Amino acid sequence: MFDYLEYSKVEGSDERHDIEIYALSTCGFCKRALAFLKERDIAHRFVHVDMVPLELKNKAKAELLERFKVHVSFPFAVIDGKDFLVGFIEADWRKTLLDGEPRRG
Amino acid sequence: MAEKTIEEVRKFILMVAAKQGWLPTRDESFLEDLAEGLRVNWNRYGYFLCPCRDSEGSREADADVLCPCVYARQDIETYGYCFCSLYWSSAFASSGGVPGGIPERRGRGPTPS
Repeated sequence: MFDYLEYSKVEGSDERHDIEIYALSTCGFCKRALAFLKERDIAHRFVHVDMVPLELKNKAKAELLERFKVHVSFPFAVIDGKDFLVGFIEADWRKTLLDGEPRRG
Repeated sequence: MAEKTIEEVRKFILMVAAKQGWLPTRDESFLEDLAEGLRVNWNRYGYFLCPCRDSEGSREADADVLCPCVYARQDIETYGYCFCSLYWSSAFASSGGVPGGIPERRGRGPTPS
C-alpha cells in the first residue's frame, strides 16, 4: 500500500485475498498472526514496523489511521486494501480470511 | 548501557509479576517470545519498551508503555491479562483460557497513573 515501505513477500497457494500485515518483530501476537498465515499457506506480505525509520513509520501509521479511522496497533492486517483486522484474535482472522472457497494461485 | 541477557530479562519478568501479584504467561513459547522481545527492546532503546508497542521515538514519549505498562492493571482486571499477554491474573491462569488480542487503551482517554 505504501511504496516507501519494503514489504517481505510470503508466497502461498491461497490467494483469495490481498493481505498486508503491519507487525512488530518483538510482539508475540504478531508472531502468532504471521505463523497463522504461513501454516495455512495464505499468500501475504508483511513489514516489521519497528525496523522502519521513525519518520517513515509515523507516516505509514498516520495514513493507516486516516484511511481506516482506527487506532493502529499490531498486528494490523489490511485485507484487499479496504478491510482491516487489528490485533490477533484467531477466530476473527479465521472467519475473515478462511471463510469461503480458497482461490488457488 | 550494558546489554541485557535473556536470563536477566526472565528475572525482570518474574520480579515484576511477584511485585504486582500477577503471573507470567503460562504459555512457555509465548513467554520466550516476549522475553526475547523485551531483550531486543532494551538493547535497542535502552529501556523495556512493551514488546507489543511501537516506539514513538524517545523514552519520554514511550513512558506509558515501559513494561509493566500503565494500562496493565486495568487490562488484567478486565481481561485477565495485559495487552501483550506477558502478565496474567491468577484467576485467568486457572481458567484455562487462551489469550487473544485486546483493545489498545493507549491514546484513548486519560493515561492511568
